[in-house]
Amino acid sequence: MKTKFLLLIIVVCSLKISAQEQKMSAQEITKFKETIENQSKNIKTIKTDFVQIKHMDFLTKDIETSGKMYFKSPNWLNWQYTKPYQYSIIFKNNKVFINDQGKKSTVDAKSKIFEKINKLIVGSVSGNMFDDKEFDITYFKTKEHNITKLIPKTASIKKMIKQIDLYFPLKDATVSEVKLIEASGDYTKIIFKNKIINAKIDDSVFTN
Amino acid sequence: MQKLMIRFLLISIFFSLLFSCKTYQIKDAVATDNVIQVVQNQYFSDKSLDYVYKTHIEIYDSKMSGIFIAKRLNDSIHRLVLTTDFGNKLLDFEISENHFKVNFIMDNLNKKIIINTLRDDFRTLLQVNNKIFKTYKSKNEIIHQTENNQYYYVDEVSNALKKIIKTNKRKEKVIFTFNSKKATFADNINIQHYTIKLRIDFNQIIN
Repeated sequence: MKTKFLLLIIVVCSLKISAQEQKMSAQEITKFKETIENQSKNIKTIKTDFVQIKHMDFLTKDIETSGKMYFKSPNWLNWQYTKPYQYSIIFKNNKVFINDQGKKSTVDAKSKIFEKINKLIVGSVSGNMFDDKEFDITYFKTKEHNITKLIPKTASIKKMIKQIDLYFPLKDATVSEVKLIEASGDYTKIIFKNKIINAKIDDSVFTN
Repeated sequence: MQKLMIRFLLISIFFSLLFSCKTYQIKDAVATDNVIQVVQNQYFSDKSLDYVYKTHIEIYDSKMSGIFIAKRLNDSIHRLVLTTDFGNKLLDFEISENHFKVNFIMDNLNKKIIINTLRDDFRTLLQVNNKIFKTYKSKNEIIHQTENNQYYYVDEVSNALKKIIKTNKRKEKVIFTFNSKKATFADNINIQHYTIKLRIDFNQIIN
């Protein structure tokens, strides 16, 4: 009886998983990529709230921080935490401006690592991350989302990030959720809320 | 002339030895009986809590900001993680009095001197029970000295741990300062090194 019950649970669970996530067909992938690429070409600005959830298996509770993000094409970015502390990081013209609870500093960002961070964040929000050189990419769909799963190819990045999942709501061609999974299985999830595309954003938002 | 020179050298060596051999002394404190055997640092002692602090590290001219997370896994082991503000891990250690394990460290931090310095600092910061070797008393504080020459300053009234001073027998090496409203939780912590240019600040985040 017990084993039967267990078997039933396993079958139900696996059914649920397969019902939840299906691989996209080659045709669906082409269409999906086209939509995202077209849409991201038209993105001049993005303004959104976000919630960042850090999950680590050994903790009792996830750590939650939240704030606002502003993006102006081609590469101005203000990533701003407002809760539970004030911290903003602005990427602009190869410079990084940091405001840490009132303490301001500037870093030269000609380094490749900052370029990569910038590309990763902008790509995460717009969804235009189809870089076959950097990632092995697979495509899935559920009733609510299209999902791309990116596995880094570079060994140094692999050590830090095992996989990046991008969630696109079916009716939206931009990302609503990013999940960065570490080699250990711990992850950071970023959920975007109240997103506005191509709203007017004053240049002063990108000054420290 | 040469004799005079040798004599002068000997005298100066003698004096330098005399002064440098002077062991570390606490100002305005007198030795007293050990009433207790163990001094407790309760700031990271509750196994049901996740301790989360916004952290600033200043090492020589570099500054780093991030989040420090610590949890007491069992009676002896603490797990601690340092992440950037974006959430990616910089380091992940498991630490106890006699045990140390690196679960993860970023490549550019993976240097023996960095790991050892942080290991020693975090071990002192997190260790709950510390065996007392000698006890002193000053105006408002009881000071417990451990066998490895760490001095625990405890407020006589509130019973809260105020600071830990690590010495190399003669001089102060590192000072840990705790700011707390109660004896079990620190709102801010500062670790200041005196032999290298390193300062770490922790400010509590309500999670």
